[in-house]
Amino acid sequence: MIEVEQLTKTFHDKKRGEIHALDHASFAVNPHEIFGVLGPNGAGKTTLLRLLATVLKPTAGTATLNGHDIVREPAAVRASLGFLSGDMGLYGRLTAREILAFFGRLGGLDGAALENRIRDIIARLDISSYADTRVDKLSTGMRQRVAIARTIVHDPPVLILDEPSYGLDVPSARLIENFVLEARRQGKCIVLSTHVMEEAEYLCDRIAVIHEGRVRITGTMDDLRAATGKTRLREIFLDLLGIAQQSQEARV
Amino acid sequence: MNGRIVATVYRKELLELVRDRRTVISMVVVPIVAMPLLFSVMNWFMSSSEKKADEESTTVAVSGPLTMPGLEAALQSAGFQLKTTSDLRAAVSGKTAAAALEEVRSPGGDSQLRIYDDATRPASEKAAGKLHEAFEHLKDRQVRAALSSQGIPEKVLEPFGVEDVDVAPQGTKGKKFLGGMLGYMVILLMFTGCMYPAVDMTAGEKERRTLEILLASPAGRDEIVLGKILAASTAAFTTATLNIFSIAISFQSGFLGKNLRELMAGTRIDGSAIALLLVAVLPTAITAAAVMITISSFAKSFKEGQSYLSPLIMLVVFPAVIGMMPGMEASPRLALLPVFNVSQLIKSIFAGDYTAAAFLVSFASNFVYAAVAFAIAVRIFQREDVLFRT
Repeated sequence: MIEVEQLTKTFHDKKRGEIHALDHASFAVNPHEIFGVLGPNGAGKTTLLRLLATVLKPTAGTATLNGHDIVREPAAVRASLGFLSGDMGLYGRLTAREILAFFGRLGGLDGAALENRIRDIIARLDISSYADTRVDKLSTGMRQRVAIARTIVHDPPVLILDEPSYGLDVPSARLIENFVLEARRQGKCIVLSTHVMEEAEYLCDRIAVIHEGRVRITGTMDDLRAATGKTRLREIFLDLLGIAQQSQEARV
Repeated sequence: MNGRIVATVYRKELLELVRDRRTVISMVVVPIVAMPLLFSVMNWFMSSSEKKADEESTTVAVSGPLTMPGLEAALQSAGFQLKTTSDLRAAVSGKTAAAALEEVRSPGGDSQLRIYDDATRPASEKAAGKLHEAFEHLKDRQVRAALSSQGIPEKVLEPFGVEDVDVAPQGTKGKKFLGGMLGYMVILLMFTGCMYPAVDMTAGEKERRTLEILLASPAGRDEIVLGKILAASTAAFTTATLNIFSIAISFQSGFLGKNLRELMAGTRIDGSAIALLLVAVLPTAITAAAVMITISSFAKSFKEGQSYLSPLIMLVVFPAVIGMMPGMEASPRLALLPVFNVSQLIKSIFAGDYTAAAFLVSFASNFVYAAVAFAIAVRIFQREDVLFRT
C-alpha cells in the first residue's frame, strides 16, 4: 500500500546551510498494518509524513501510496489518505458537522452519500450531542473525536498520524489507540509517528527508528530486540540513538 | 482546476469569516457606520467652530477714543463692540479681543489703520475680515461723498463692469469633491475590510495549525488559493458596497448637515451611479484580495500578518489621495495606474463626465492586475519556505 524508495528531503537554511531532513529513506507498509515511526525531535519524522502527504515535495526519491506516486499524482495520493496530527487542525469557528461536510466534499462526497457518511461517523464516534456546536466550545477529548471523524470522513485506505496523542490525557489517548486498532481491523494502512514508547510498543506491527534524517532500523519488536539485545522499546530506542551518537563520534 | 473544490473552499472561508467578530466589524460595521459618523463629526465641528467664531469675532480692542471721522459709527453699525486697552497685541494674543485696531498717523499726516489679528484663530481671522469689510464700506462712502461734492459722477469709480460666468454644469463642483472623497474612502475602507479576512485565511490558518491539514486534503494548492482569494474579494467587495450605500443614504437623507449639504448642492447619487461604482471597484477588490493573500502568506501569525499589511494600506492612501485632489484629471497613461485609476473613475462617475473608453481602460487594466496578483498568489502558495516558515 505504501512504498517508500530512497526518499530524500533537503532544506536550505541561510545560517546552517543544507539540512538533510530525510536522507534516502526506504520502507514499505502493508494494508492491515500499523507502521510506527520513532525518533527524537528534529529526527525527520514530520518531514517524512509531510512528504507522504504531498504537503512537501521530495528532493530525491519517491513513494507511492495506494498505487499513486507522490510526485506525479499528488492529488490522487491526497484523496487516498487521511492525515491527523496532535494539533488536530480543526476549524474552531465551524461545527463538527460543518467540518465533516467540508472535508467530505473535498474528498469527493456529495449529496445523500455525504449526508449518510456524516451521520454514520457521528453515530460511530458518539459525537451527536455536540455535532452542531462550534469546535472552539468543545473539550479536548471532544475535539479529538471530531479530528478523528474528519480524518476518516472520505474513508481513505491510508492513514498518516503525526503524534496524534500528543498532549492528551489517558482517556483521550485511549480513544486514539482504539481508533488506530479499529482502522487496522478495517484493513487500513497506517503510518504512526509518536514519542510515546508504550503506545508504539502496544500498537505498532513494525517500527522504524529515524535519527538525523536516516532510517536506522526497521522491523518488528522481535527484530528490534534481536538487533539491540534489549527488551523494552524505550531501551531499544535509546540504544539505537547511542549507536547513532557513537558512530557520529567515530566519524568526527 | 476543479470548480467544485474551489466553491467548497470558498464557502468554508466565508462561513469562517462571518463567524469572526473582527472581520464582521471591519467588513460590515465600519463601512456602514464610518461615513455617517465622520459626516456628523465634521458637521458638528464645522457648525460649532463657525458659531464660536461668530460669537467671538465681535470684540475689537482699541487703545483710546477713535478720531477718524465716521469710523466708530461704521464699526458699531458692523456689529463690533469696542474694548479699550493699553496693550493691543496682548489683548489679541490673550484672547480678550478677537482683533485690535490702531489709528496711526503717517509722517505725511495721512490716516492709517492697523489691524492686529491672530491668523491661527478662526475668530480673529473672521474679525479681521469683517474689519476690512467695514473699512471698505466707510472708504466707499467717503469717496462717493467727495466725488459728489466735486460734482464728479460716481461712474468714474467703475468705468467698465466685469462678469464671471461659470460654465460648469450645476452641481458639478460638488460632485467632483464628493466623487474624489468617496473614491478615497471606498478604496481605503475596501482595503482595510479585506485585511482581516486575508490575514485570517493565511497567517491565521498557520497559527491555528489548520493549514497543514487543508494542504493534505484532496484540494490542490491552486484550488485552495483561488477559494481564499474569492472569499477575500467577497469581503473587500462587500465592504465597498456597504460603504457606497452608506454614503449614498447619508447624502440622500440629509444626514450631512447644513455645511456639507451646501457644498453638495445639486448632487444626486442615483441607482445607475451606484451600479457603475460597483462594477468599477470589482477588479480592484480582487486585486486587493490577491495581493493581501500573497503578502500575509509569508506571516507566521495573525499579528505578524497585520504588521505586513499595514504598510500596504499606507501605500494605497497615496494614489487615492492624489486622485481626490480637485485639479487631478485622468489621462490614458494614468488610467493604467492601479488604485489611482479607480479613484479617478469614481470621481468621474459622480461628476457624470466619465467616458466609456476611460471606464473600459480602467476596468480592463485592473482586471489584468487582478489576474497577475492571482498568478503570483498561486506561485507563492506553492513555496514550502513560505507555508512552513518557522
